[in-house]
Amino acid sequence: MRKKLVFFLLLLAAFFATPAFCSPAGFDVESIRGPRIKELYMVIHRDPDSQILALERGKLDVLGDITRPVDVKRLAGNDEIDLSVAQGFHIFFMGFNLRKEPWNSLALRKAVAHAIPRQQIVRDLFSGYSTPISAFLPPASPYFEPDVPSYPYDPDLARSILEEAGWKWDSTGRLVPPGSDRPLVSFRILGPTAQAAPTTMEIARRIADALGKIGLSVELEPLDFSVMIRRLDVHDFDLFVMAWSLSRDPDNLFAFFHSSMDVEGGYNIQGLHDPEVDEVTERLRWAPDKKTAEEAAAKAQRLLSEKLPWIPIYSRYMITAVRKDWKGLVSSEVTTTDNLWTLLSMEPVSGKMRPVFWALSDEPRSLNPLSSSSAYDWQVLGLIYDGLIAVDPYTLEDVPWLATDWKIETVESQGGPKTRLVFTLRKNVKWHDGRPFTAEDVRSTLLFLKENNIPRYYDSVRDIESVERPDDFTVMVTMGKTSYWYLHNIGGTPILPAHILELAEDWKSWQPMRTPHPERQGLTMLVGTGPFVFSEYRPGEYVKLTRNEGFWKLPEDLR
Amino acid sequence: MRSYWLKRVLGALIVLLVVLFLNFFLFRLMPGDVVSTIIDPRFSPEAKAELRKQFGLDSPLYEQFFRYAKAMVTFDFGLSFLSQRPVWEELRSRLPNTVFLLGSAFLLSAILGTWLGIHAARRRGSFLEKIVLLAGSVSFSFPSFFVQLVLLLAFGWALPLFPLRGSVSIPPPEGFAAAFFDYLWHMTLPVFSLVLLGFGSWAIYVRNLMVRTLGSDYILLARAKGLPERRVLWGHAFRTTLPPIVTIFLLALPGVISGAVITERVFSLHGVGTFLLEAILGHDYPAAGAAFFLLALVSIFCNLAADVIYGLVDPRIRVGRSMEE
Repeated sequence: MRKKLVFFLLLLAAFFATPAFCSPAGFDVESIRGPRIKELYMVIHRDPDSQILALERGKLDVLGDITRPVDVKRLAGNDEIDLSVAQGFHIFFMGFNLRKEPWNSLALRKAVAHAIPRQQIVRDLFSGYSTPISAFLPPASPYFEPDVPSYPYDPDLARSILEEAGWKWDSTGRLVPPGSDRPLVSFRILGPTAQAAPTTMEIARRIADALGKIGLSVELEPLDFSVMIRRLDVHDFDLFVMAWSLSRDPDNLFAFFHSSMDVEGGYNIQGLHDPEVDEVTERLRWAPDKKTAEEAAAKAQRLLSEKLPWIPIYSRYMITAVRKDWKGLVSSEVTTTDNLWTLLSMEPVSGKMRPVFWALSDEPRSLNPLSSSSAYDWQVLGLIYDGLIAVDPYTLEDVPWLATDWKIETVESQGGPKTRLVFTLRKNVKWHDGRPFTAEDVRSTLLFLKENNIPRYYDSVRDIESVERPDDFTVMVTMGKTSYWYLHNIGGTPILPAHILELAEDWKSWQPMRTPHPERQGLTMLVGTGPFVFSEYRPGEYVKLTRNEGFWKLPEDLR
Repeated sequence: MRSYWLKRVLGALIVLLVVLFLNFFLFRLMPGDVVSTIIDPRFSPEAKAELRKQFGLDSPLYEQFFRYAKAMVTFDFGLSFLSQRPVWEELRSRLPNTVFLLGSAFLLSAILGTWLGIHAARRRGSFLEKIVLLAGSVSFSFPSFFVQLVLLLAFGWALPLFPLRGSVSIPPPEGFAAAFFDYLWHMTLPVFSLVLLGFGSWAIYVRNLMVRTLGSDYILLARAKGLPERRVLWGHAFRTTLPPIVTIFLLALPGVISGAVITERVFSLHGVGTFLLEAILGHDYPAAGAAFFLLALVSIFCNLAADVIYGLVDPRIRVGRSMEE
């Protein structure tokens, strides 16, 4: 216990004392220039144990997404390694099947919420590097609403809520619903096996134990992940435990809770049908501006905390380790050091340049920016391709990237109001092959993605009505409906060069990294505007990227 | 003779056909598909439907079966669902590591185990026999990941004699010779771990066979005739035990590929074992179908090879020769 406390205090000290966590007041991310490093090896390192050993031995410089308390503890005591801790977008919860009795009873759900010892679960299983939550958005979200009804651990209160609502207990202590003489049967919590998610079933076991204390008999049903998803897809469950890793935008509340999403394979897994929630999530999904979005997001969170379609349990901190051989690292309360800004500004403490070894926890699948949905592919592709807008690592606000400026406006038309996005593009940007980046590239990319119904981009571009380019550095995108989120959907889409895109005959089987560039020797078709140029992929070993010597953010002394 | 081989080949074809059917239907009996494992609120049910269309999962099952059967018999396995790269290309990039790792580990364990087994049987109660018995129990009782992690910790981290991961240094050395020795250096620890885990079971198996054989009357007769011990051991006793050893060797060969998963994971090696596991877990039908189809082919080939080698190592076994002859 004492050891745990010391470790927790150490972790808190790291959280608040790391220079990156100091207030970024006056800090302008746009002033960051780079990349300063010349070579970046993204080392494919699957086994978590050997990842830690490699980091300690100096074979890796950056290791992100460290989840096991034992690893955090070990690295926290290493003088050669810095840990950065951020709140992240993880949210773990228990869901109910609201289509069935007894889970359609709000009183029961509230009692369940009071019966779960979140604090204790987090303390015991995560040594304090997670935070118990009551909200439906992760604490890192700019739209997080702290002022929502919460349900602190109080089994006595849970019992009195049930009593007030007419629930009783039989002689053996089992819960009996109002108007019935028969106690509830036993229920099952679905969850992934320990192989897929090591702590999930342990959390489920603790929840089951806690619910036993208010008279609910709950058993565990660990399942292979795809089997579990199939059961959830067809709504064959009572309870389930699951985690989401969300984005900075709160519009996924629409996907999770709007009644139209209660379809087979839809994300309203619990089957919530509530007119008030429908109204507010619609307002959030189709908010024409940020102010409306903020109001709707706050109201949606308050409403959901009252209706409790899920019980939020905890949110995991994101933890990244970097060797102290590097300086210029960028991190904040909401962003760990393994980010684009760090890659731009990092340089060796010794002043002697050497390659950076960055851990990639799995194999990149195809490195095809059109078809790939793999997060590991995008850790690489995200450094080769750029979007129009980037995200500030401190505030999570939009910052100019390929677009220097943008306008979001609502225009009236015969079919009703529509959102129009007008982007002003940066003028001094060149593709890796030296061709200039223009509005035609943006137009071609968006139309290519829409016309081919490419699944990865389907939801981002499907509402595009037209893409115009009044001049070489202005793009006007008109959407079929109104939504503030279109700005992030379109602004976050990676832009591909029009002159390469027209050579991609079949986007599904396109292998840009294996196809030589038609004009420039040494380059492949993986041509972007990003800070790094694709150099080599050795399956199972590494992806090598080199500095884009023509990058628009390169500092003067490196040009 | 000809009818025997015709029967064997026909039998092999029937087995292959059964594998072909099972490969298709077993994978599709598993709940869900490759698309259902994508759970991302930014990926709507409509986007998922598009993806199913892209993979051909929206067409009727019989159409999918014919497409699959054609792909298998023409060895054109198509694109992997997960990587969108040709399955052949995926396998080709992974085969060298797996073949080297398992081939060398399997051969070394078999040779070392057989040699130790023979000598342990010859010197009953000796120190060597005790080592064989101990090694056998170690290989049966220790989980491979544990032994491999301990080795990695000892010789990759505490005493950094060997690399912690992969089959190549990063950045890789230049020149063929340097690259070759770099590869050997990387593969030493994984191969050694498999030999350490594998030779004991071979040694025990061979020892037991040899103990029984060395106690036979014809060995007694050979010794009584005054034949040199070396000839008794290798020319008479070992030769008699060869058929079961060959059988075990050839039948174990296809199985070791699936056993490569853990080793490949611990040492971060790019191999077929990991590919197989990911294909199954990710419902990657083309990749899993191709991998199991090829494994079935290797198994069938090994069975046929065992039949041929039987005759070569034991002159008493001849197809088509009657007892009277």
